Amino acid sequence: MPEEKSTTKEILQAKLADQERIPLYNSKALEKLREEFDQWKNTVVGKQDRENWYATPHTIIGSEIPREMLYTPLNNPGFDCMQDLGNSGQEPFTRGIHANMYRGREFTMRQLTGFGGPEDTNKRMKFMLEHGATGLNPLFDLPTIQMYDSDDPISEGQVGMSGVAIDSVEDMDLLFKDIPLDEVTVSLVTHYPSNTAILFPMYLALAERRGIPWDKLRGSVQNDITLEEVVRSGPEYIPPQDCFRIQCDNIEFIRQNVPQWNFVTYNGYNLREFGTSGITEMAVAVANAIGSIEDMIKRGHDVDWVAERVAFFWSPASDFFEEVARIRAVRRLWYRIMKYRFNAKSTRSMWMRCHVQTSGVSLMRQEPLNNIIRAAYHALASVFGGVQSLHVDSYDEAYSVPTEEAALLSLRTQQIIQAETGVTEVVDPLGGSFYVEALTNDIEGRILDEVDEIERMGGYVAAIEKGWLHRKIADHFYREQSMIERGDIKLVGYNIYKAPGGVPPIEVFQYPEGVEERQKARLAGLRKRRDNEKVGSALAELGEACKRKKNILPYSVECARVGCSEGEIFKVFKKAYGLWKPPMLW
Amino acid sequence: MAGRVKILLSKLGLDVHNRGIITVAKALRDAGMEVIYLGNSLPEEIIKSAIQEDVDVIGVSSLGGAHLTLGSKLIEGAKREGIKDRVMFTIGGVFSSTDAEKLQQIGFDEVFEPGATREEIVSSILEFISSKAGR
Repeated sequence: MPEEKSTTKEILQAKLADQERIPLYNSKALEKLREEFDQWKNTVVGKQDRENWYATPHTIIGSEIPREMLYTPLNNPGFDCMQDLGNSGQEPFTRGIHANMYRGREFTMRQLTGFGGPEDTNKRMKFMLEHGATGLNPLFDLPTIQMYDSDDPISEGQVGMSGVAIDSVEDMDLLFKDIPLDEVTVSLVTHYPSNTAILFPMYLALAERRGIPWDKLRGSVQNDITLEEVVRSGPEYIPPQDCFRIQCDNIEFIRQNVPQWNFVTYNGYNLREFGTSGITEMAVAVANAIGSIEDMIKRGHDVDWVAERVAFFWSPASDFFEEVARIRAVRRLWYRIMKYRFNAKSTRSMWMRCHVQTSGVSLMRQEPLNNIIRAAYHALASVFGGVQSLHVDSYDEAYSVPTEEAALLSLRTQQIIQAETGVTEVVDPLGGSFYVEALTNDIEGRILDEVDEIERMGGYVAAIEKGWLHRKIADHFYREQSMIERGDIKLVGYNIYKAPGGVPPIEVFQYPEGVEERQKARLAGLRKRRDNEKVGSALAELGEACKRKKNILPYSVECARVGCSEGEIFKVFKKAYGLWKPPMLW
Repeated sequence: MAGRVKILLSKLGLDVHNRGIITVAKALRDAGMEVIYLGNSLPEEIIKSAIQEDVDVIGVSSLGGAHLTLGSKLIEGAKREGIKDRVMFTIGGVFSSTDAEKLQQIGFDEVFEPGATREEIVSSILEFISSKAGR
């Protein structure tokens, strides 16, 4: 590290060592328990079990943490109820960020939607809202995500597939036709800092056109360098330093101008799905968040001003108790980081707010209806973890974007948990479990260790540039493939309990026809109608702002207003920053 | 079989997901093949590179839904350039079984659906190449 400043782990260890702890368990009781436990282990527990006391669940993207056969207070002898748990809505927030959790506010049911042209996705979004969805979550097609126009040769044959095609503010208008932007909460799935800086301005320009003040808008964007520079394959990348600066420009501008909007959703999900453990997933997101807050402080902003709206995005997968424990672990860790490392004053700054998407890579093609059950368990674990918002992957995950029926089932999965199981009536129902608390402690330590590793190599952006993260992921997913093929990771219907005759085929989603032609026609029309002089000067000024390293968002918003297309704006970034070649993955 | 099998791998179009193709690339290399990885490419570039590198196999990956549109362009391009019979064409990714059949009808020699193991992929490529050589 360049300067001799302490790492986050060092700071936390020092501050926590100072805390007065009042152990809950009476030491005499613990002694007695120890005696009894050892006796039991040697007499009642069989030899086989004694010798295999630790068992490791092997799951897709699991953390391979060994588990004991039975957990007792001996696993957490120094347990201090108020220091380690507190009550819900109270420091250290292990039990939840609100006192009443789901009694006060249900988790948002926010299913992804996206395919075809904006009018197609508009219809599906309305369908979901009519059936009880409480948040919108539009996902863009690959050309839009990768920042090419629908009429760019590179987009040919791919427009409107696996997401909705959006080229300009006019497409945004069609996407949200008859949807009141000041009444809904919209998660715009703009993965990258670069496409956030292009697409969110289009949303803002749309709000202006509809006479809706920006302070009425509620929702979120992803805006994460991890997605742009690490977990995607693409033809063109800008350098990580510039990408990170845009991430921070987005944070700053949105915080200043769209006060109810969540300007970042640290990843999280896509990283883990790409191929890494739940521990690394959280360590990376936390390291990224720390780096961004440091940058905001450098820009002269107050910690609380930024941190109050920070949010995270996780991928709950199949190791049920790991998923519950790690949400609690990172919630407590984030609180400690905000309080002790950043000296946050506002309570909101200390909350680890999160959206989750159940793991797609854990779902199988074989016997697809099994995925409904898998996803239901992922969702249930998330609710036990205390998340704020959920998307449940659909059973046809390994086939295509969901059919209406499959999407509805995912929504019903959430609704049944919420309305029929009674689990949301009690806050943090698994809190106090000897197992869950031991695992929460263990996982918190592991996450912090990896954050430490990232900080020691110069911080998160350095970890990307050096290829550390790329290599770590590639090793992990290659090893995981071996485990799946060897049958170490058991998957029902795939490598165990295989149905001898196979199963009947499912109905698979069919994309609407003619999307590419329609998008091309729209673009052609827009390019004719708009004031091309204004377009030219808006793009030129954006280019200047990029070069001068000013916050580029006001210039990008102006581009959106005058009808610039996404591809045109991305070209400006590429010209200003040059291209970067990411580290090889193999 | 004389010489190493040379295979060109590519993401089809703008598809962002490369976990599968990288896993396959490593497996093929571990099995002794010479692997060239193009990253994201369109059909014309893939054909051009395949001719330049004089490969035995082309393998493409598509999880973004464009397997039929871009897949058929790839096969058409191969026929136009006269390499369709010389080179083996394989594809993997996310698509329905119906589409998997369509891909075979279009002209792909092997279509790998989700769940295909590295062993299956490696052995079917080697078998195909050696049976072709035997003709």
